[in-house]
Amino acid sequence: MAKGDAYTLGYAAIICVVCSLLLSTTASLLKPRQDIEVELDRKLNVLKAFGVATEDERGKKMDGAEVDRRFAEHISEIILDGETGQAIPGLTGRELSREDLEQKRKLPLYLWKEDGRITRYAFPISGKGLWSTIYGYMALDADLSTIIGVTFYRHGETPGLGGEIATEAFQKQFVGKRVFKDGRLQRIEVVKGTVADRYPEGNDHAVDGISGATLTGRGLNQFMNRDLEKYGKYFTGIRGGG
Amino acid sequence: MAENLKKILVDPLSESNPITIQILGICSALAVTVKMETALVMAMALTVVTAGSNLVISLLRKSIPGRIRMVVEVAVIATLVIVADQFIRAYLFDISRQLSVFVGLIITNCIVMGRAEAFAIQNPPLPSLLDGLGNGLGYSLILLIVAFFRELLGSGSLFGWRLLPGGYPGNGMALLAPGAFFALGLIIWVQRTLTKKFDTE
Amino acid sequence: MDLLNLAIKSVFIENILLSTFLGMCSFLAISRRIEAATGLGMAVIFVQTITVPANWLIKHFFLEPGALAWTGVPALAALDLSFLSFICFIAVIASLVQLVEMVMDRFFPALYQTLGIFLPLITVNCAILGGSLFMMERNYAFSQSVVFGASSGGGWALAITAMAAIRKKLRYSNIPPGLKGLGITMILTGLMAMAFMCFSGISL
Repeated sequence: MAKGDAYTLGYAAIICVVCSLLLSTTASLLKPRQDIEVELDRKLNVLKAFGVATEDERGKKMDGAEVDRRFAEHISEIILDGETGQAIPGLTGRELSREDLEQKRKLPLYLWKEDGRITRYAFPISGKGLWSTIYGYMALDADLSTIIGVTFYRHGETPGLGGEIATEAFQKQFVGKRVFKDGRLQRIEVVKGTVADRYPEGNDHAVDGISGATLTGRGLNQFMNRDLEKYGKYFTGIRGGG
Repeated sequence: MAENLKKILVDPLSESNPITIQILGICSALAVTVKMETALVMAMALTVVTAGSNLVISLLRKSIPGRIRMVVEVAVIATLVIVADQFIRAYLFDISRQLSVFVGLIITNCIVMGRAEAFAIQNPPLPSLLDGLGNGLGYSLILLIVAFFRELLGSGSLFGWRLLPGGYPGNGMALLAPGAFFALGLIIWVQRTLTKKFDTE
Repeated sequence: MDLLNLAIKSVFIENILLSTFLGMCSFLAISRRIEAATGLGMAVIFVQTITVPANWLIKHFFLEPGALAWTGVPALAALDLSFLSFICFIAVIASLVQLVEMVMDRFFPALYQTLGIFLPLITVNCAILGGSLFMMERNYAFSQSVVFGASSGGGWALAITAMAAIRKKLRYSNIPPGLKGLGITMILTGLMAMAFMCFSGISL
């Protein structure tokens, strides 16, 4: 196949153009659809954090229209400033960049309204576990202290060890713990071993660790409390120090 | 001729299976087999890409300048992989999260490149398409068998449906990396004993 | 300190071959002879250390959403080209490998004699592309990407050298015919992966 340099160059150029055309077309055609999925996923996770059953008993997910409806019906969101803990009016979650969220410069807070009154709060928590960044939500009762749910929806921890944080059994333990005590934030703690050994007299802030996943637990301790401190500024304001 | 085509399609399922006999494309075969669901999507993506790239390269085979043959092949494969990845992201959002980088790694999956080099570059489009399809399916077969055992033993379920009684605790090892190696090693043993294709090390 | 932890993690705990299965093809094919295994291992370390940071630069200055802001053209700054990352990464890898080969041939002929034959094999080694993709997915910073590249290559080299040594001994053992070669190698790799899992107890 003795063909000249010009032919080779031309051939390469044509392949490049065809491939890039094909790619940019598919990418731009599918982009809106992908964005919808991402947005739906966010809403679904917020609903889940508020304790809405998002899966039926067979593990089938709630469909998109239902998610949108429930979200619009009950949930509103405000954005807090990461430094001061003050609400920034007029900003919505869609306008936040990924960096803002990851660096915790802007903090979204979701409010659950029932008959016009705020009855629950939820906010995203995220940070490094052992291998990966763990993403989740924490939901608080109207008193802004009692935890009504902690969920982790995305992580890359070892299946069977650190990965157990995604199980209901682990997450359920957080329910009823309190993030405020005597008007001040208290640390939420994933203990190494069991709570019964560590705090035999009982407690309202610690949960059992996962055996074989001490480091994942340590990661949780770090980022959950860091995020709580950030949001805590706003919560303390609302609670009026009480 | 028809006989011949059938052979091209069926052979890679067992006699010349890309994974267990030709030792190609094992990397991804292991990482995505924790669950049947992810394994199935990965298998479909790979089959489509292999068949597609074989077809395209076979159509181009007479015009490709020899010097940039590999580059053109990689470009074709990479394009198809990206298209597949975009589709998975748009329509199978949850699974795309779980597959993470492994869809992208189809680009360096030796099966795709290997079949393009070994078959499509010298053969007409129809046999090439079938060859790609056959090899893709042979890969899928092994992938699904490995995933079957790993999900069943590891989590006691298949496609997320609980099969073993609730008391079954799940065998963590099947979910971790060693489980994948053992499962594949044993499958290779069985398959090679049946087909009598032995290594002569 | 974090960088040292990352290095230990990538070599032992999260070995790119034994826990994420990358680079299996060349691992199985080349681990028959120990000299070849060491050579390929060195070549992987070398190429990985160059390509991961190189792809980081590509990602950071061209592909990320908003990455083209440095051009000063607003239309470009708004682009998100991350869907091109696979094709760009593989192109960077292929051309860098070629470049390294030429530079080595010209200036370090001795090194080229030992590593040269392995370099073309590396382009299709999943561990190399995988390294770059993990770098993107895990959002490493530049310094982290250098360390991650070098140490994940190191982990791969460690695994293949160890396996070649085991296979050398294996030649004198009685293995059922169906298990010979590939089969027993898979099972051994499984055992090795289990042994490496013990490292995950190290607290970093």
